[in-house]
Amino acid sequence: MFTLPQEESRALAPCPGPASTQDLDSNYGDGLERERSRKPDRKLPELCDSTTMLSSDSSYLSSRGRVIKWFWDSAEEGYRTYHMDEYDEDKNPSEWEEEAACVIMCASVKYNIRGPALIPRMKTKHRIYYVTLFSIVLLGLIATGMFQFWPHSIESSSDWNVEKRSVRDVPVVRLPADSPIPERGDLSCRMHTCFDVYRCGFNPKNKIKVYIYSLKKYVDDSGVPVSNTISREYNELLTAISDSDYYTDDINRACLFVPSIDVLNQNTLRIKETAQALAQLSRWDRGTNHLLFNMLPGGPPDYNTALDVPRDRALLAGGGFSTWTYRQGYDVSIPVYSPLSAEVDLPEKGPGPRRYFLLSSQMAVHPEYREDLEALQAKHGESVLVLDKCTNLSEGVLSVHKRCREHQVFDYPQVLQEAIFCVVLRGARLGQAVLSDVLRAGCVPVVIADSYILPFSEVLDWKRASVVVPEEKMSDVYGILQSIPQRQIEEMQRQKWSSVSNPLFLPLIPPQSQGFTAIVLTYDRVESLFRVITEVSKVPSLSKLLVVWNNQNKNPPEDSLWPKIRVPLKVVRTAENKLSNRFFPYDEIETEAVLAIDDDIIMLTSDELQFGYEVWREFPDRLVGYPGRLHLWDHEMNKWKYESEWTNEVSMVLTGAAFYHKYFNYLYTYKMPGDIKNWVDAHMNCEDIAMNFLVANVTGKAVIKVTPRKKFKCPECTAIDGLSLDQTHMVERSECINKFASVFGTMPLKVVEHRADPVLYKDDFPEKLKSFPNIGSL
Amino acid sequence: MQSWRRKSLWLALSASWLLVLLRVFPLLRLAVPTRPWAGAPQGWPRWLDAELLPHFSQPGELPKDDLQPPRGPRGGSCDWGSCFDVSKCRGGRLKVFVQPVAGPISDAHRGILASIESSRYHSVSPDEACLLLGLEAPAGECSPVPPQWNGGRNHLVLSLHPAFCPQTFQLGQAMVAKAGPTVDTFRPGFDVALPLLPEAHPLRGGAPGQLGQHSPHPGVPLLALAEERGGWRTAGADSSACPWDGRCEQDRGPEQTHPGATLPNATFCLIPGHGPDALHFLQALQAGCIPVLLSPRWELPFSEVIDWTKAAIVADERLLFQVLTALQEMPPTRVLALRQQTQFLWDAYFSSVEKVIHTTLEIIQDRIFGASAHPSLLWNSPPGALLALPTFSTSPLDFPFYHLQRGSRPTGRFSALIWVGDPGQPPLNLIQAVAGSQHCAQILVLWSSEKPPPLRWPKTAVPLTVLAGQRKASDRFLPHTAISTDAILSLDAHSSLTTSEVDFAFVVWQSFPERMVGFLTWSHFWDEARGGWGYTAERANEFSMVLTSAAFYHRYYHTLLTHSLPEALRTLADEAPTCADILMNFLVAAVTKLPPIKTPGGPESQPPAQDCINQMAAEFGSMPLVSSRLRLDPVLFKDPVSVLRKKYRSLEKP
Repeated sequence: MFTLPQEESRALAPCPGPASTQDLDSNYGDGLERERSRKPDRKLPELCDSTTMLSSDSSYLSSRGRVIKWFWDSAEEGYRTYHMDEYDEDKNPSEWEEEAACVIMCASVKYNIRGPALIPRMKTKHRIYYVTLFSIVLLGLIATGMFQFWPHSIESSSDWNVEKRSVRDVPVVRLPADSPIPERGDLSCRMHTCFDVYRCGFNPKNKIKVYIYSLKKYVDDSGVPVSNTISREYNELLTAISDSDYYTDDINRACLFVPSIDVLNQNTLRIKETAQALAQLSRWDRGTNHLLFNMLPGGPPDYNTALDVPRDRALLAGGGFSTWTYRQGYDVSIPVYSPLSAEVDLPEKGPGPRRYFLLSSQMAVHPEYREDLEALQAKHGESVLVLDKCTNLSEGVLSVHKRCREHQVFDYPQVLQEAIFCVVLRGARLGQAVLSDVLRAGCVPVVIADSYILPFSEVLDWKRASVVVPEEKMSDVYGILQSIPQRQIEEMQRQKWSSVSNPLFLPLIPPQSQGFTAIVLTYDRVESLFRVITEVSKVPSLSKLLVVWNNQNKNPPEDSLWPKIRVPLKVVRTAENKLSNRFFPYDEIETEAVLAIDDDIIMLTSDELQFGYEVWREFPDRLVGYPGRLHLWDHEMNKWKYESEWTNEVSMVLTGAAFYHKYFNYLYTYKMPGDIKNWVDAHMNCEDIAMNFLVANVTGKAVIKVTPRKKFKCPECTAIDGLSLDQTHMVERSECINKFASVFGTMPLKVVEHRADPVLYKDDFPEKLKSFPNIGSL
Repeated sequence: MQSWRRKSLWLALSASWLLVLLRVFPLLRLAVPTRPWAGAPQGWPRWLDAELLPHFSQPGELPKDDLQPPRGPRGGSCDWGSCFDVSKCRGGRLKVFVQPVAGPISDAHRGILASIESSRYHSVSPDEACLLLGLEAPAGECSPVPPQWNGGRNHLVLSLHPAFCPQTFQLGQAMVAKAGPTVDTFRPGFDVALPLLPEAHPLRGGAPGQLGQHSPHPGVPLLALAEERGGWRTAGADSSACPWDGRCEQDRGPEQTHPGATLPNATFCLIPGHGPDALHFLQALQAGCIPVLLSPRWELPFSEVIDWTKAAIVADERLLFQVLTALQEMPPTRVLALRQQTQFLWDAYFSSVEKVIHTTLEIIQDRIFGASAHPSLLWNSPPGALLALPTFSTSPLDFPFYHLQRGSRPTGRFSALIWVGDPGQPPLNLIQAVAGSQHCAQILVLWSSEKPPPLRWPKTAVPLTVLAGQRKASDRFLPHTAISTDAILSLDAHSSLTTSEVDFAFVVWQSFPERMVGFLTWSHFWDEARGGWGYTAERANEFSMVLTSAAFYHRYYHTLLTHSLPEALRTLADEAPTCADILMNFLVAAVTKLPPIKTPGGPESQPPAQDCINQMAAEFGSMPLVSSRLRLDPVLFKDPVSVLRKKYRSLEKP
């Protein structure tokens, strides 16, 4: 009922990576139908994890580069969900180009070789004729070369670097009065109706490619400019795109097109002419896959909440969308950039009490709302501060950097750091630049703007970082904020969540019938190994036994010598004698539960092992092991210390015999932080401590120690040579803890005071009625 | 001469060739549309005068705009702010009145009515309600305009089944909660998207999720495809390049057809997006099969609060081949997370009609709450928003469920809540034992006896408060405001515990704050003979309940028991104290899906007096209790080592 290697395995890759499992597969394939072998190293970039939302820091809205990054990340997420993988059916155009270039080169080389050989065979008369003709042609070529290509080639060589020119020198495009105007924006546009995914085929590394049209200056028939050529902000935005991985200078490979026509501020442009300018872009095609950026939409008197320029199917990244104009899943809401906070450096401010509870800093507030605010101030006194613009400033002081309350003058935006909550009230437009200032200052925004779509609301959970209050409730705003628990306020101020995302978060008790796979790591202690196999095979829930043969110089024993057991037994040979081989996610592991067991652990009884499995079922996301160990802080040495004394506490279990979820094998092999995996293999020690660190770090939970067992003793091991060796061992283990803690950047291990015993363990109860009577001691 | 000529000609020729080579190669290089030299990509120009460019808006410009009056909503369309009158909800509480339906009502309707009545939002009078709920009539019949219609303001029209009566009455300002609404007509933040439920969807409780293990079994096929007739077709990993009906007819080898409504057994479930195919969608969720929706034209259920990116994949049907490749190569970490999330969502919001209705109302309540609504985390992680009441707190760490997720543990101490029933004997020894614990913050005596409480109480190190009870068994589970700590040690006057037992159990509870940690256990079993559940207090190898006469648990469970359980259950608990014990155990198990924890110690357990377990199971819709076979002991418990080493040595006294 077990299979053994039929032949020596081929030379394996130096590390037991995926390649080696495949080899093992092919060698030890025993007619069992194999799963398509996975290649864990070839992976899709994981989609943006929404738990990290808003995580970086509060200032992300302030720097335009980050805004771009945020935008692309969010756009890319939307995009990726639509476009799951590279589209590689068509030939990549760059390959075409290379091929074409090669054809040209090869042709000319051929001609070079043949040319001189052909000529001597011709008659002299003809020869002279040909040579003369040829010389004339040649001269002509040289002449044209001199005059046409020479200066141009100088320019184009500098073209290969980033151009340095003046905005004033850009080409002028004259728009005839009757040139076409795009349709108005189509409100029913969705990704699957208005977006052409087929253009996004050429995207190595799953990044969308963005093309930026070159800058032109648009004038109407009479030569009057259509808009400002480009604003500083839009220039920086385009520069950021151009510097990112998303940029392509090849219009044929682009998936998104960004016009260089600046529509950030609707007030500065002529709507009809700007639309005409858009329509004449070379790949416009009803605006498909074109992306426009706009921060100040609409204009008096009705202030539309989206850009008024007719734009057909173009996507809009806009500040100040309302629910009426926002096309869910198509448009992107962006923050309105504030030039103020970019100019001022604000120090980082942690969560904690502030001088004011609520602050309003906006200068132009509708009189009704200002009344409400003043009323709040009158009612709650010092804790509410309502600022207005300053009327009595001396000459030369920039009024935008000052705010006043009666005669008191405050510096803006610094004053925002003095408050816990800052009001972001809508004006005629929903998007307010003050939101950027407030977030940057680390103040919790109180957004009072009905129907406003908050920036990046598709990927950001604004509830974690802001309070949204209906305009109607404006007068109750103080009470609403007061009712928020202190703990939540601090989380909002922090604007991030320090959550561990346990990969096995679903409370689930796996069925007992599934059983577990025992993995025995062995080198050459065959006799002891066979005893372990025999003992472990007595455990009722064992479903498969896997022997990891870590000795490259010696073959495993012949088939007939192995103990005959009731479950399948497989032997995996490794390429190198590494400790990490025991934690490799072998395809042979079919159960979720894995029992890692050394080849000398023969003292554990069948009851103990079966009970360990039952405990693992109740705690499938933890390491469940027998002897426990502890880490301690050594105050004298100022570092961590490994403790194997029999104490009242446990923070690790030895993996000489431990149950755990097979997913942790995947994590150990492919996701172990830093160089820990190699370090363990090099030192041939501490693989168990590394596993304890890994599991505790990813789950945030403590280990479960099972039964009284305190140590593994093996009859075959001779007593360790004296105390000194033992001492060295302890020092090494302590070193491991310190090394791992520094790599993880934290001490993830959790200390607990309990262990798991069978319900009736050592109770006054008939032994024969107990489920697990045979539990060994110490 | 000839030779000289020839030589000179040759010379000229070679010279010209040299020139040609010199000239043509650079030209050729130019002819190739240049890949720029490595390291210097051609990009957006660095303008020499970039610093001189004007800002997109001038600082003075914005305030000028802002002096406009705020605008009201536009006609025709509705959003929450403009079409719902929040001021009608007194105290910010949602109260729902169900419009009476004329004529006979179907079973499905009766079910919906029952689940609304069982919810905490139900109101019997239209005057105190702030949401009037109209039920869409069964298919074929269209109901007339209901009374108090008022243009649909503060109305919710509920239609669980797809046969939506078109233009029954002008919907006006009414919200529509409809199964599988199309993306085009759906008003985000105003309408509610419901799942399309099968006819026989259970009213209460509902079938548990089918996921038996966290990660996919290695033998399970990669894909199952939703078929037009219902049912699923599974495709092996190898044939996945050609799975779609009609696209790849020749390759049908390894596929099997499963007619009928069996649940798919695969890692991913491909669901086409043309119609509201929510039946398949729900089946996939229940089976723990990750739904892959191909360009869905319908709004995903409860999309306002549920983050579907954590549980499903929305892909473009135009890129089917790429989608398949991406699914094959998806990293195990993501597969694992998606699978678990499908199960959690199924159990939390979709498995019964009652859950769907309650979720709908909870979403509307959240809109009314505004700032104090559930944070997204509470909606999107176990146990779900229906079980994490925002009225208790909106900060996750105040709940028992999120500590372990975040790697933290509750700090602080515990409050001992001692229930004194008849004959009204003050539990002096117990008070001393509990007050001796270093973790005890306060002692509360809930006096529920006919006899008046004594005027003098023993002096204790911690404050002692006497609360007057209503002489009902469920008294002890009221959210008494006097309880100041997260942890409650619930005790009966006749319990006997030692300080050491209390100390150890509390430390264990800190590691498992969402569970009950107790000393005395009962276990439930299926009684074949009676065809019902039974339970026993006999000592056994496993247990599924701990007695609340001596148990630690989080104070949130008092709030949950009082405010979220139906009245009927609490009345049941009042009938007998053992029923109250069982109720608390049912509740915690239903929320956590985990067994309680037993620690050593405690007095002998009492045999249960009255059988109420079957009634409870019927009310819950299923049996939530989970059995455990382990007990948590101190690390050195009863070990043959020096007593001096042991921290909890008095635990071991026989």
